Amino acid sequence: MNPELRRALAEALLALADDEMILAHRDSEWSGHAPILEEDIAFANIALDEMGHAQLWYRLVAELRDKDPERLPDRLVFRRPASAFRNVRLVELPKGDWAFTIVRQHLFDSIELARLARLAQVGHAPLAQTAAKILNEERYHDRHTRAWMRRLAQGTDESRARIRSALDLAWPKTAQLFLPIPGEERLLEAGVWVGGATLAGAWYAAESGFLGELGLDIEPLPAESEGRDVHTEHLEALLTEMQSVARLEPEAAW
Amino acid sequence: MTDTQWPRYEVFVQERPGRPHQHAGSVHAPDDEIALQNARDVFVRRPECISLWVAPAAAITGVTAQELAERGAAPEAQADGDDHAFEVFAKVEQRGTLIHIGQVAASSAAVALAASRRLADANGALVLWVVPSGRVTRSDEADVAPMFAPASTKAYRDQAFYHVQTALQRMRRSRQP
Repeated sequence: MNPELRRALAEALLALADDEMILAHRDSEWSGHAPILEEDIAFANIALDEMGHAQLWYRLVAELRDKDPERLPDRLVFRRPASAFRNVRLVELPKGDWAFTIVRQHLFDSIELARLARLAQVGHAPLAQTAAKILNEERYHDRHTRAWMRRLAQGTDESRARIRSALDLAWPKTAQLFLPIPGEERLLEAGVWVGGATLAGAWYAAESGFLGELGLDIEPLPAESEGRDVHTEHLEALLTEMQSVARLEPEAAW
Repeated sequence: MTDTQWPRYEVFVQERPGRPHQHAGSVHAPDDEIALQNARDVFVRRPECISLWVAPAAAITGVTAQELAERGAAPEAQADGDDHAFEVFAKVEQRGTLIHIGQVAASSAAVALAASRRLADANGALVLWVVPSGRVTRSDEADVAPMFAPASTKAYRDQAFYHVQTALQRMRRSRQP
């Protein structure tokens, strides 16, 4: 793989890694606070899985940049300012109520599942293998969040109202997950990437079917133009907390 | 005080092919599907699992060996309706857990328990549980990869991953005069 292609692929994988990392952090905020003990454990598992996926992607980023895969992931997570993160805005929104948490996780996971299924087939073995490994775990997340979606959407008046307002907040923000990543064209030409544009149609059809069964109507996805370098004010606050310990003693060995 | 908990389900884990399902503990869940998922998250944090069963605690009928022996002299429970399958679990060691010892066909839980005595005596059971097979929710073959395989790559969930004991011993030693 030529240097230019390696740089572009590292940039694309950084976006996936940052999505997973920031979502993992938001999910981890439920530890000790989920609705019941069993779900607390289940959701902490999901948070840890997402963090594990972020780590796998960060390691690939390190390899593509000829950096130490043991050290670069920590540097990327704990030393970068908000402006250098490439996550979508959906994952940085505050954790909200349980309905919002489930809606966001479901939307994110179902899109991720579609992307991973295709990435597992691309012509760059480390990427395809990592995607296949993550895909296996995401199948379980998808099943878990769909089970919750059904129960909240078909539960009580209150749960229906909460899931409706959660969807109203999260839905327009999913559009960003389908935007091309800068430099994506040459990755597509080289057959090592899956563009969001190719996923959007099938995902939208399946998702509107699923939500329709639950009595949840949705609008077409809005046009989104602001890229992954634009963040809400929530990311800054999240990073201040997430990086606080690492900043206390930057040279500490863990 | 009103119990606001969801219903309790008992969880049974099969660790390896050829081994029986073994009672692992219980979870609360609003329904069978969530019970199976909660069981996975609570009890399959270590890699040894190839199949998972959950059954509502309310569907399980249990007796001790002593109760069973006392009933021995009593007339056999009366049949009521058609036979259906029951799964039979037995605790065979004082400190052990309940393991699945087989299936019996019976028209009611009482008849199933009476029928289980044959299986139970052979196993030296101390406690017996029977549950209608239809009330048991089971993981499928297809669940093995997404539900159970990931645990094998998550050594950090195992207490042996953390060297706290070794670290504590080292700290204690260093404090000794």
